[in-house]
Amino acid sequence: MKVFVALFVSAFALAADPATMTGTWTMTLHAGHDIPTALVLKQQDTKVTGTIRLPTQNIGQLIDVDLAGEFVDRTLTLSGAVEHADPPATVKITGTLKDDGTLEGTLAMHTHGVPWTAERFKERKPSGF
Amino acid sequence: MFLTGTHLPRRTFLRGLGAAIALPYLDAMTPARAAAAARAQRLICIEMVHGAAGSSAFGRQRNLWAPAAAGRDFDLTPTSLRALEPFRDCLTIVSNTDVDPAEPFTATEIGGDHFRSSAVFLTQAHPRQTEGGNVRAGTSLDQLFARRCGAETPIPSMQLCIERVDGGGGCGYGYSCVYADAISWASPTRPLPMIRDPRVAFDRLFGMARGASSAPGRDRLAEDRSILDGVLASAARLARGLGPADRARLSEYFDNVREIERQIQQIEAHNASGELRELPEAPLGVPDAFGAHVKLMCDLQVLAFRADVTRVFAFKLGRDTSNRTYPESGCATPFHNASHHGGREPRILEFAKINAYHVGMVAYLLDRLRRTPGGAGSLLDDTLVLYGSPMGDPNQHNHKRVPFFCAGRAGDAIPGGLHLQAPNETPLANVMLGILHALGLTDVERFGDSGSVFDLQRTENRG
Repeated sequence: MKVFVALFVSAFALAADPATMTGTWTMTLHAGHDIPTALVLKQQDTKVTGTIRLPTQNIGQLIDVDLAGEFVDRTLTLSGAVEHADPPATVKITGTLKDDGTLEGTLAMHTHGVPWTAERFKERKPSGF
Repeated sequence: MFLTGTHLPRRTFLRGLGAAIALPYLDAMTPARAAAAARAQRLICIEMVHGAAGSSAFGRQRNLWAPAAAGRDFDLTPTSLRALEPFRDCLTIVSNTDVDPAEPFTATEIGGDHFRSSAVFLTQAHPRQTEGGNVRAGTSLDQLFARRCGAETPIPSMQLCIERVDGGGGCGYGYSCVYADAISWASPTRPLPMIRDPRVAFDRLFGMARGASSAPGRDRLAEDRSILDGVLASAARLARGLGPADRARLSEYFDNVREIERQIQQIEAHNASGELRELPEAPLGVPDAFGAHVKLMCDLQVLAFRADVTRVFAFKLGRDTSNRTYPESGCATPFHNASHHGGREPRILEFAKINAYHVGMVAYLLDRLRRTPGGAGSLLDDTLVLYGSPMGDPNQHNHKRVPFFCAGRAGDAIPGGLHLQAPNETPLANVMLGILHALGLTDVERFGDSGSVFDLQRTENRG
């Protein structure tokens, strides 16, 4: 959780720079229907690390997958091992930063690939809590 | 209680072994209180999950939910609302509103739409993401109204549902199941449980909670007798002191109570027969067929209004991610799967059939209310039925351009016969604030994320 909070803080600090991947993205997997999920990234030079929350076949159940990769020439490349997956699986994400600041690409796992798009997520503070 | 006089208190009950049955309006009741009760506004809030086909881009283009024209000359033919045509004079469709509090506010909330939306519908408040007991949303619209009128009836409000809503702990994405199970919140931290079993609702409404819990009540259930059996003697005494019109009303009312009770007993007998059930986990009183269950719950609500047992119902027709099928709709695809139409036009049209089927259930309710005498005409004149979903396009899991309408005049507070197109990004909370004001709660200045009061009486199209 501490790591997560730290990532949020740096996300806010760097969100103004459109060329950095750092921040929280609402990633939508276009897998027949649209599945929104969170992609949290941190960029240092060209290296990118982060986490994706992958929905499972059990509705409501999620797996957090740690990612590592790079962002070069507006192209994002990430991969991460899905722990406890049977059979063992690796998530591979490729994407491109578009002129409007959104991302689009493909997420591959096992032999399947699904297209995705992403836009920056603006965190809000709920009132009354 | 002595029931020999011709002037009866409004809160007269016929009491007998294991039963205490409220009475409908009678001329013999104390005139002032009876008149006040007769004029009383009533409220039914119905939530359906999974949004609507008409909230998708193609659905908006084809007017699958909201009609093309705003104002009075709207055409319901292409819409999922076409079953409401007989009620268009008291129908108020409000289109193009958003439920922003159901959107994710933090990264961990992204994707959890199915697990928090129902808590938002009647509260318009953003739920706290927790699987523990520290749940928090907002006080719901029905409960704000119940606070005003609840003291005037034996039961301040009642919460009914159709699907199984007894999940414990967390249901997904870090949300407590209570957010998906309850739509009625007595306070921001107190969700109210919902009743799925018509038997439980019946006994609570007409047996005053004595029916199934006391020894005579259990005997009655075991012997398949009527709740009315225990009050026959006092009913006969009461009838002797009434005029012919009141005697007829009383007789019809008892017939209606008995008919609903008989239906429940038949369902229980069938479900206890050992035949394979479609809903094996459901209580004996729950019909397997969705339509039969909804109609029975509607009948109970109408009868409860007639007897002024309560004036407020929250009614949850579905549960998020439910894959129930509705063969009568003409769409064989399970509900959740159908809602994920992939943006493909044929599948959107299929999903619209389910939406239309659900709205048809509301038409049944409105018809029953219209056929039942109320204070100024029919119960429909006194009642406001609101129907909607906190989700817009379920294929995107968004909460924009959500389906919503209300029907009934709530005692001339809402004129009806209107399609109101809201300006873009209008919170549905504005509309709900307008409804609260129409229900007499003009001291409520804000509701959820409302920014202003939506005028439900305007006739010009400002969309």
